[in-house]
Amino acid sequence: MANYFNTLPLRLQLAELAKCRFMHLDEFTEGVDALKGKKLVIIGCGAQGLNQGLNLRDSGLDVSYTLRAAAIDEKRQSWKNATENGFTVGTYEELLPTADVVLNLTPDKQHTNVVNTIMPMMKHGACLSYSHGFNIVEEGMQIRDDITVIMVAPKCPGSEVRAEYVRGFGVPTLIAVHEDNDPNGEGLALAKAYAVGTGGHKAGVLMSSFVAEVKSDLMGEQTILCGMLQTGSLLCFDKMIEEGIDAGYASKLIQYGWETVTEALKYGGVTNMMDRLSNPAKIRAFDLAEEMKDIMGPLYQKHQDDIMTGAFSSGMMDDWANDDAKLLGWRADTAETAFEKTEAGDVEISEQEYFDNGILMVAMVKAGVELAFETMTDAGIIADSAYYESLHETPLIANTIARKKLYEMNATISDTAEYGCYLYNHACVPLLGDFMKDIKTDVIGKGLEFADTGVDNARLIEVNEAIRSHPVEVIGAELRGYMADMKRII
Amino acid sequence: MSDLDRWCLDALSVDFDGRFQLDDISWTIQPGEHWLIAGANGSGKSALAAVLAGAGDRLSGTCSGLPDRVALVSYEQQAELIEAERRKDDADILDVISEGTPVAEIIDSVSQDDELAETLIDALGLRPLLDRAFRKLSTGESRKVMLIRAFTSNPELLVLDEPFDGLDHDSLWWLQAHLRDLAKTVPMVIVLNRFDECPDFITDVAYVDDGRLLHKVKRDDERAFAEVRQLLHLQTTDLELPPGDPAAQLPSLNDADPLVRLTGAAIRYTDNTVFEDLDWTIEANEHWQLSGPNGSGKTGLLSLITGDHPQCYVNDIQVFGFQRGTGESIWQIKQYIGYVSTALQWEYRVSIGLRNVIISGFYDSIGLYGKSTDAQKAIADQWLDLLGMTGRFDEPFNSLSFGEQRLLLIARAMVKHPPLLILDEPCLGLDDINRQLVLALIERICTTSNTTVLYVNHRTQDQIRGINNHLALQ
Ligand SMILES: NC(=O)c1ccc[n+]([C@@H]2O[C@H](COP(=O)([O-])OP(=O)(O)OC[C@H]3O[C@@H](n4cnc5c(N)ncnc54)[C@H](OP(=O)(O)O)[C@@H]3O)[C@@H](O)[C@H]2O)c1
Ligand SMILES: [Mg+2]
Repeated sequence: MANYFNTLPLRLQLAELAKCRFMHLDEFTEGVDALKGKKLVIIGCGAQGLNQGLNLRDSGLDVSYTLRAAAIDEKRQSWKNATENGFTVGTYEELLPTADVVLNLTPDKQHTNVVNTIMPMMKHGACLSYSHGFNIVEEGMQIRDDITVIMVAPKCPGSEVRAEYVRGFGVPTLIAVHEDNDPNGEGLALAKAYAVGTGGHKAGVLMSSFVAEVKSDLMGEQTILCGMLQTGSLLCFDKMIEEGIDAGYASKLIQYGWETVTEALKYGGVTNMMDRLSNPAKIRAFDLAEEMKDIMGPLYQKHQDDIMTGAFSSGMMDDWANDDAKLLGWRADTAETAFEKTEAGDVEISEQEYFDNGILMVAMVKAGVELAFETMTDAGIIADSAYYESLHETPLIANTIARKKLYEMNATISDTAEYGCYLYNHACVPLLGDFMKDIKTDVIGKGLEFADTGVDNARLIEVNEAIRSHPVEVIGAELRGYMADMKRII
Repeated sequence: MSDLDRWCLDALSVDFDGRFQLDDISWTIQPGEHWLIAGANGSGKSALAAVLAGAGDRLSGTCSGLPDRVALVSYEQQAELIEAERRKDDADILDVISEGTPVAEIIDSVSQDDELAETLIDALGLRPLLDRAFRKLSTGESRKVMLIRAFTSNPELLVLDEPFDGLDHDSLWWLQAHLRDLAKTVPMVIVLNRFDECPDFITDVAYVDDGRLLHKVKRDDERAFAEVRQLLHLQTTDLELPPGDPAAQLPSLNDADPLVRLTGAAIRYTDNTVFEDLDWTIEANEHWQLSGPNGSGKTGLLSLITGDHPQCYVNDIQVFGFQRGTGESIWQIKQYIGYVSTALQWEYRVSIGLRNVIISGFYDSIGLYGKSTDAQKAIADQWLDLLGMTGRFDEPFNSLSFGEQRLLLIARAMVKHPPLLILDEPCLGLDDINRQLVLALIERICTTSNTTVLYVNHRTQDQIRGINNHLALQ
């Protein structure tokens, strides 16, 4: 199989990358009708599989699970997930031949194998759906002509997909139809109904393409979303220890700090996050971010380039073929880091203190969000999509670190994201080595000294202007506005 | 301060002619304290005040150190004096029409300080009435006489039951100023129906309910003070439950169907069975209490009904006319249910304002994602009024105390007047005052709405009037 994206002429590559439209709520008035009475069979019952299935069933749809035989025989976690939640579980042979829609929610690494196994069992004219386009785009998987192929990709970890649904809301979701496989022209209707079934339509749906989803999703998760947070956690922690800050305090400041500072992104983007700092601290964070953007820029470009050419995916597939040697090695290394091994101390840290004593963390988030966004849009990805894959998802990933540190983050994201995260971290930690040498506790651990709190008016105006006029802020304001609009329409 | 200086009621129970009883009152008044006694009508607050002046028959417990000269002003004691005057007339065998005892004599008979009496008579404008028969005075006038008697009797303790009731505006001002002055030298216990009349010098509040002294709160403990005030409001307000939103009518239910019918229900995990073979039918307007030890599956059972438990799809459950697992969505079920639990409160970690929290009940959402209507805003504000939280619509929910949050969530659950209100241990984690606040609110709901209440609690003392059906899990 060849990399599908690379088989496309440049003209189509660009067209596919540029596919991205924010859908309005009134495009979803048919609700789940297109899936009503159809038999939905989910393959795999992990992070996405279980949570999407719970939502779809609660939306009145007929959902059951098929697992590989070993998982059923050995009553593995996936089997427990499905049965304890009252779902019918069956073998491929039992469930696939009668399925109208097959939701492939196995790890990306398994897709080729899984899809090759199940395709012959699928009935004529059925639909196959994915939550990530890797298999189609990077591996060039060919699907039988009579089968409709769609994607419904929640821009969130599976736990959030469920949590938001239960609250009566949803998570932003990207949908796409694989043009080569839409024999009956029903792909879009099915994808829309599926997005409604998971609650995604309430939070915003982007109509996109398999290509745009893959190339932006990989970039976001490797860099700002997971990679930057991991690198930042390790560097900030080690620096604080080196400077004599109490280890329990340092551990807590980082573990909960990402969640706290990025929460501000949800409400008013980078501007609002920066506004939570005092004026002198804001200027410091701005300068630090500029410096880091200079240093990290080439790394972000390399990640995006490798994603575009397929070098990233072939590298990861080599690791798959090598029994995940790199992934497992990096995972073990992460578990051994001082930050992971130091429990958060039993100290009170107020919400504002996370900002005041975490100026460098704020700067890292700003640098990472802006760089990822700039690099994606430079590569032809539409701003809306780049926004969701960078700024929007950052707080959702930060929440996972608050729960159980990097372990939790890497356990909830997909294996592909985890691999990309380590890959980035592996390069970024040494890259920021010199920069970190000059860092002191005034920007991480203690906050600015009273002596350096003077602010030059002209400089402040300049900095504010630069923050506010960044393109991620412009599109962010527009998209958050749409979401607020949607809320008004309901 | 020595033990001798303070006045102590210890486990005191007092009977009032078999009509009313105060139970197990323990109360210490320290030098320098001025107390407010608060409580709903009939709670026993006047009785408690009167006990200080020696009223009632002691059944058990002790009373120590109370001073000899306790001056009491109350409606009952005023009525008694008037009644005594009347009886004097009736007893008069002379064939002369008695004029009754004149005001001057009524005052003189107890006054220890004639100079002061003269001053007060002028201050309260009683001079023109000095020769008038006491029993012929208006209520307000005779109340003033009672006050003068109390003030001039050289009291060691002043007990004033509703002293501001029935006074004209000028006298009210005068009395407030006078009490402020007097408070510097004489300890006071004042009974008031309304907290907003509470004088500044009051240092402590005693809250009475059902013949018991339930709470003693320091005035400067702002939170506790506010809670007691809110409790009094909830128990005494004549505000009614706000109506539902006429524009958001629920699809109507078939009267013949029960609200809920579980047949042979079970919750099973791989390694244990929480319960099985459970049949349960809840008909409209049958309030239920559900009890059982921890781990008996109370919450699991409820969540089979609400649809929050995934095994609702493998049970035979009929709710609001839907057979579960036949293509209905969970929101079609939830629209008929109001739900409150500690778990919900943990989940409800949002910083939206109080009004929006209440409105979110119309949408069964945590947080508010829809646009609310003006009618819904007005209804939410009425709920805030009922809760004694008028005007606080913009306060962020997560800044409220735990107990206030609970009240808000009950209002949120009730705002749409759901056919079924499920309260899963609504008092869990609450202190006494807040527990009573919640119970007072629930009782109002049970007695004044068409909502069927399903109440889960294992504390037997937290029973609610109006709930007559009981299911106990083992
Ligand atoms: N996690 C996220 O944040 C996220 C977000 C958006 C999209 N996605 C996408 O969602 C998909 C699923 O990811 P995930 O994170 O949910 O995966 P996951 O948690 O690792 O779960 C995968 C499930 O697939 C089963 N499985 C594994 N290997 C299999 C095989 N060879 N054959 C059949 N079943 C197999 C596993 O069960 P057994 O091993 O017991 O068989 C498990 O239940 C991926 O395409 C991913 O990119 C994930
Ligand atoms: Mg992703």
